[in-house]
Amino acid sequence: MDLSRYATLFVTESREHLGACSQLLLDWERDPRATEPVVGIFRAMHTFKGMAAAMGYSNLTELAHRAESLLDVLRSDPGSASPELHDLMFAIVDALEAGVNDAVAGNDSALDFTGLFAGLDNASVAAQPTGSWAIPARIPEPVVGTTGRVVRIAIRPGAAMRGARALIALRKAEGLGTVASVRPASASFDQDEFDGRFAFRLESSRTDDEIRTILLGAGDVGSVDIGDLAPPIAPAADDRAGAEGTGRNRQIRVDLRRLDALMNQVGELVVAKGRLAELVSREGNPELEAVSARVARVVAEMQSEVIQARMTPVWQVFDRFPRVVRDLSRQLGKRVAFEVEGEEIELDRALLDELGEPLIHLLRNAVDHGIESPAERKRRNKPAEARVKLSATRERAGVAIRVIDDGAGINRQRVLDKALRESLVEPGSTSLTDDQLLRVVIRPGFSTAAQVTDVSGRGMGMDAVVSRVRSLGGSVHLHSVEGEGSTFTLHLPTSLAILRALLARVGDERYAVPLTSVAETLEFSGARSAEVQGREALVLRDQVIPTMHLRERLGVGPRRTEGRRPAIVIDVGGRRLALVVDALVGQQEIVVEPFDGPRGMLPVFSGATILGDGVPVLILDPAALV
Amino acid sequence: MSHTVLVCDDAIFMRTMISDILTQAGFEVVGEAETGREAVDRYRELKPDLVTMDIVMPDMGGIDAVREICKNDPDAKILMCSAMGQQALVVEAVQAGAKDFVVKPFQPSRVLEAVQRILG
Repeated sequence: MDLSRYATLFVTESREHLGACSQLLLDWERDPRATEPVVGIFRAMHTFKGMAAAMGYSNLTELAHRAESLLDVLRSDPGSASPELHDLMFAIVDALEAGVNDAVAGNDSALDFTGLFAGLDNASVAAQPTGSWAIPARIPEPVVGTTGRVVRIAIRPGAAMRGARALIALRKAEGLGTVASVRPASASFDQDEFDGRFAFRLESSRTDDEIRTILLGAGDVGSVDIGDLAPPIAPAADDRAGAEGTGRNRQIRVDLRRLDALMNQVGELVVAKGRLAELVSREGNPELEAVSARVARVVAEMQSEVIQARMTPVWQVFDRFPRVVRDLSRQLGKRVAFEVEGEEIELDRALLDELGEPLIHLLRNAVDHGIESPAERKRRNKPAEARVKLSATRERAGVAIRVIDDGAGINRQRVLDKALRESLVEPGSTSLTDDQLLRVVIRPGFSTAAQVTDVSGRGMGMDAVVSRVRSLGGSVHLHSVEGEGSTFTLHLPTSLAILRALLARVGDERYAVPLTSVAETLEFSGARSAEVQGREALVLRDQVIPTMHLRERLGVGPRRTEGRRPAIVIDVGGRRLALVVDALVGQQEIVVEPFDGPRGMLPVFSGATILGDGVPVLILDPAALV
Repeated sequence: MSHTVLVCDDAIFMRTMISDILTQAGFEVVGEAETGREAVDRYRELKPDLVTMDIVMPDMGGIDAVREICKNDPDAKILMCSAMGQQALVVEAVQAGAKDFVVKPFQPSRVLEAVQRILG
């Protein structure tokens, strides 16, 4: 059997299970006597072990098996685990996570877990093995996407009438709560092909152990495997499933590259559709127009389906953060209650993948620089336990992700001093706005930390965070109150591939400006202009905004000095700029094409798009202009 | 007090055998039925703790009897007695409300396990 085919699935599923382990370890640590976390870790470890064994990764299997054996004993008395044991388990989960990638790369035999084995040996409770642990056979993937725990049941291979037995087990499950998404469908239980293994989702108030006991009571049940609680899904998906009349929500895993390819194809189709509509309108043939209109509708629907298919709930990335915050706060001797909100909010998968690192940086930043030491907090009459919150919320044009801490806030005086020294603000300035503050803080290499800690030395810098977010079409905002804490807000589009843009004409060409960066548009005139330090600027409600004449910047020709001169005020992380253009064409959704500009091209474009008339248009990168 | 049982099968041999197995295990067989119709009537009259039900019986089969009994008493504890190769019928019986099943030829231990599961 060619196992490489399963490698991707193995990596994905392992990540889920090990991620769940990390989460549960945190729960366990918080409430050492609770049984559920240990049982959950045990189960996840068991499942992981089965998968690793099926893949032939003996070192991973061995480590998982020994961890599972220890957990099996601890299940009955979770409170007996020492803090060191918690740390050992964390280390094991980390080692397994790292080992998964090595193993898939063909290096399982090179994995060395000697230290961890020694640790496991020392945890003397690990005396008894778990007994036999047959590799869980491949059970049909239960559907994800509804709520409830995934329950997988295998009827004993030798049992008579496995289908009828399975049905009895299912009946028992129905007595425990709401059963959904049975796979294979119970109607096929009496088929000859049914091998006694089935899965479903169960919404029940019972504990895993209660469920397991009751289901084992159905007779001839070989194994009951209860999986993780599924996150709630967006109601829209439910509705759709309902509309299809199935009432069920079947899902499969799809390689993201396929969705990318599909997305690009649909993009082409959108362009072709626009071109078609234009040609058809010249013909004046109503029949042709009807067909063209229908094509347009179908393409639009298809586009939205593909975009929808790429949407992923943010918890898939957020899930690992509690662990990051926990490790960090321990390391720094700080007490932090970490809270996550809006985990169900969805973003384009490609975008979400890019966000992990910047968010980790912001969280580190919050814990390391934002949160004060417990002693300091006490002195300031703040609760000893600090709060750090990560929240995702839907916004008009996209999604906002915030990292909020109730720490010391940024020391404006110190930042101002530094800014003055480095001439980042006008000499004589006595205060900094939030926007200015951010602008100084994101400068490469900038640090206000009284001492540079181990923590701040790692990962990307604040400047990298901001440029990453901008490259995704988003922006970063900072709000900080000294003594009360800081909030970093990332405003992001929900999808990378489709952008709402403002089209403007400069010379003979049209250019697109992402709407997420557009603050407003107005008519530029002499009356509005001013000169600040020898540079032309636009005065808008007491605010002085530097101007840029795109005719000049893009090398189209000299700036116009009279006539209608619309200006687009763009805002990138608080930095504003008024782009003076020849004309505003309008707003529209554009499909961003992978961009591969020629060398020597002005570095002010982030991509290209093709409009309905078939004419390519360059997309301006606001961050590069400001 | 021991549990009461109603044994339904059109074959005396089978009824006897089942009765023996259950009686030896301490159950009290309070009645027997040869047809589905009879099973329904006797159930109503005896209200036994447990019913063993053959699938193929004259005058209303076992499955219809299950359906009928469960209509009046959804909690009725019915154990289906089936021959090999009747899976589709057993499935139907379970859907109709039967709680468990055993497959002929009976092994006493299997029968008692199933009974325990139902009553447990």
